[in-house]
Amino acid sequence: MALTDEVKRYLPDGIAARLKYPKLADFERPNVITTTADLVFNWARSHSVFPFQYGLACCAIEMLSSGFARFDIARYGMEVFRPTPRQCDLMIVAGTVNEKMAPVLLRLYEQMAEPKWVISMGACATSGGPFYDGYNVVNGVDKVVPVDVYIPGCPPRPEALFDGMLQLQRKIQQLTFARPEKVEPLYGADAPWHADAIGPQAQFGGRVSKKRLTP
Amino acid sequence: MSLQVGNVRIGAGELAARLAQGFAGELTDVAVQEPDTVVARLAREKLKDVAARLHDLEETPVDSLTLISSVDYVTHYECVYHLYSYAANLYVELHVRVPRGDPTVETVSDVWPGADWHEREAWDMMGIVFKGHPDPRRILLKDDWIGHPLRKDYVDDVRNHPYV
Repeated sequence: MALTDEVKRYLPDGIAARLKYPKLADFERPNVITTTADLVFNWARSHSVFPFQYGLACCAIEMLSSGFARFDIARYGMEVFRPTPRQCDLMIVAGTVNEKMAPVLLRLYEQMAEPKWVISMGACATSGGPFYDGYNVVNGVDKVVPVDVYIPGCPPRPEALFDGMLQLQRKIQQLTFARPEKVEPLYGADAPWHADAIGPQAQFGGRVSKKRLTP
Repeated sequence: MSLQVGNVRIGAGELAARLAQGFAGELTDVAVQEPDTVVARLAREKLKDVAARLHDLEETPVDSLTLISSVDYVTHYECVYHLYSYAANLYVELHVRVPRGDPTVETVSDVWPGADWHEREAWDMMGIVFKGHPDPRRILLKDDWIGHPLRKDYVDDVRNHPYV
């Protein structure tokens, strides 16, 4: 960033030195440094996603098809499929996850380097799909790992996969270095939707028991 | 013996007659079911002995095991051994009844090595124990699964589903 005297005139006192030599604390709150750094890092991250090919069933055929010349996933900068989780930051779960595969999937997810994302491709990975009642089927990969984007379809066409990946790109571009102003607790009595915080009258006319809303 | 398939030119009726004669008292209800398939019933105590002799049969050795099915007839189980003879280009089906109270059969994986995984699958899905099997683990489900899901009286256990 070129800090000419002309530019410095319009900046508040002391900010010029901090722009040149930013401290760690300057990345903690949203400001001009974090927005610029976010722009660069999010652009790089969202256009160089390395997908982990986790093909389990027929969705994998559509995933492979999207990699070849007719659909050509390389147009979006996401074409470098890797067979190892350590080189990847996106896991595309394409197919039915069964009870034997679930712990393996969790282990592979944990071996991926941060930041990492998960796409649940197709009906099976999202909810169990047509095998929902199967004795050996996990009803959705979100029971095992956190999912960022769900793609419907049985199986989804490559266009649907691209749409899901573009949605993910948008999600990646919202990342920021800055810490949020206030971290809201997800669970426990401090959570904003906890029964004690809402009060009995606000919950569905006061008829729903506390037990259901308390995690 | 030549490895050419079907170089012993006999029909299924001829093979059925030879089996009924050579295994008299052991193979019962020998019949031709399809144009190329001989079906027979067999007591489970005689399975091991008959399997070894079928495998080393003179002129038409039944030297290939295609599949082991297991059936739940509610009153009893049944193992169906789908065999094939390359020399005669004919199939043989052996039906072995297994009582429900004691679902054990002798293994045939030392006669036909291909039986190994099929017997593991029959144990996994139907709970039939193969005595003398070299590696009696589950093959499709995870190792700590409770129950055998293809049995008619199978009730799913919530401990099988840690991710709910």
